[in-house]
Amino acid sequence: METHKNILTEPIVEMQNVCIRYGDDPEVLSNIQLCLDKGSFHFLTGKSGAGKTSLLSMMYLSLMPSKGTVNVFGSNIGYASRNTMAMLRRKIGVVFQDFRLLEHLSAYDNVAIPLRIRAMNENEIQKRVKELLSWVELDKSMNKLCSTLSGGEKQRVAIARAVINRPEILLADEPTGNVDNDIASKLMKLFVELNKLGTTVVIATHSKDLITEYNYPQIHLENKSLKIIPALRRISR
Amino acid sequence: MIGQFLFKNRSELPLKEDQANTFLEISIVVSVFLFSITLAAFFVISAMISSWNKSIVDGLSVQIMPSEQVLSADEELLRVGKVIQFFEGFENVEKVIQIKDSQIQKLMRPWLGQNVDLKELPMPKLLDVRLKNGKFFDYDKAAAQLKDVAPYASMDNYAIWLQKLVKSASSLKALSVFVLMLVLITTSFSIMYAVQTSLKIHQNIIEILHIMGATDDYIGKQYAKRIFIVALLASIIGSILSILALLMISYISANLDTGLIASATLTHFHWALLALLPLPTSLFAMLTALISVKRTLGKII
Ligand SMILES: Nc1ncnc2c1ncn2[C@@H]1O[C@H](COP(=O)(O)OP(=O)(O)OP(=O)(O)O)[C@@H](O)[C@H]1O
Ligand SMILES: [Mg+2]
Repeated sequence: METHKNILTEPIVEMQNVCIRYGDDPEVLSNIQLCLDKGSFHFLTGKSGAGKTSLLSMMYLSLMPSKGTVNVFGSNIGYASRNTMAMLRRKIGVVFQDFRLLEHLSAYDNVAIPLRIRAMNENEIQKRVKELLSWVELDKSMNKLCSTLSGGEKQRVAIARAVINRPEILLADEPTGNVDNDIASKLMKLFVELNKLGTTVVIATHSKDLITEYNYPQIHLENKSLKIIPALRRISR
Repeated sequence: MIGQFLFKNRSELPLKEDQANTFLEISIVVSVFLFSITLAAFFVISAMISSWNKSIVDGLSVQIMPSEQVLSADEELLRVGKVIQFFEGFENVEKVIQIKDSQIQKLMRPWLGQNVDLKELPMPKLLDVRLKNGKFFDYDKAAAQLKDVAPYASMDNYAIWLQKLVKSASSLKALSVFVLMLVLITTSFSIMYAVQTSLKIHQNIIEILHIMGATDDYIGKQYAKRIFIVALLASIIGSILSILALLMISYISANLDTGLIASATLTHFHWALLALLPLPTSLFAMLTALISVKRTLGKII
């Protein structure tokens, strides 16, 4: 049975005995085991301060565990070279809780960053960025500086920037917190579509509605530890 | 639309507004000015040294004064032999030729007139010392040693004087090389400082770029591009200022007419090198920036 499972699914993120602590503070997460299969979709839940953002930042290779090993795409991030890390990161799309847009650049230029990093030609960049920005209903604000955008607009720019590259892993930290319900469900549909195309998705959220509506398994953080809450029902989507 | 697309600034880092830019511009203007002037001095000194070295021939003549007492032929022979032996002792000496008395007399004849009996006069002896390489013969030291061995003999002092000039010019040349190095080092330090300051200021943006998969090279290139432009503008200004100063100096010194020194001026080739200085300067600045970005980023996660 075990081998059968391994053939069908391939772990894309693996954590073994992982602890996270900041400086000399007590541990935020302790002795975490986690295995995310390729193509899976999880919500990441837990109270404020439970360590959701911390867990995600380890997955996007910005935070090193204070103990334990983390493998992403099969590479142990504790031993990866700077260049390897850069190449791994290119396959990961991140929506930050606080967006982290480059405020001095336009919405267009923010979304273009991942493509420019990959040295894609500007014609192709222009095509892709315009298409995506109009899909998230930002075609009118495309050339506005990000510092002048509203919270919801910023969030959509952040999401567009995370998915422009068709990442293999999408990590989104409260991606629907600042938008109205219509846009929120449109964005969720985007994540679901990406997941159908093979992207592994983890979405941190506080929204009970989202969790019940979409019925995906949860990675739940509580008391420094992690448990997986399976999806309640299987419905066809 | 296409123009905007082509000429839009693609850099994610707002390096154009960096405060360190002004500091860097001024420091590069001053550095290039100093470098250019020192380089010109280096060229002039080198030209002088090589022209002086050319005048040092591979030989010297030694005069042996006649003795005040009357000497026997053997004593006379011993006296000259001692000097010949002295010079033959040098590794750089190929051979020592004693000029025949008859030849000396022939040389003296026009000075003394036909009526004087040269055989009656005390005649000096002359040695022609042939050197393997005049440049590497220490005339000064030899002259001092000769004074101890045979105080009655003396070397011609033109070569000694010339070699002293070459020696002091060489130390000036070494000094100019030292100043050139110093300017290079301080310039690269100010570039590194400017880059490090800027990296610290933009740490947040750099972290975001890193998370999106930017390599250190990608960030380094944005710095390299910016620093190249800053350095090119600043070094052109520094270079123009230095060339104006050099033109003034050469105009003044041309009016002075100082013999040996005036003969050594900058050639067209040297002027061209000085005028082209902004190019290697900005390439050097760009490379320094690239390297220091990569080194600094290597230290932060
Ligand atoms: N950079 C940091 N330095 C020190 N402590 C930190 C840092 N980041 C997070 N923490 C601490 O780690 C704990 C977990 O924080 P984290 O941001 O991961 O929680 P979270 O689950 O994302 O919370 P929220 O739902 O409010 O976003 C918190 O107690 C927080 O104070
Ligand atoms: Mg959080």
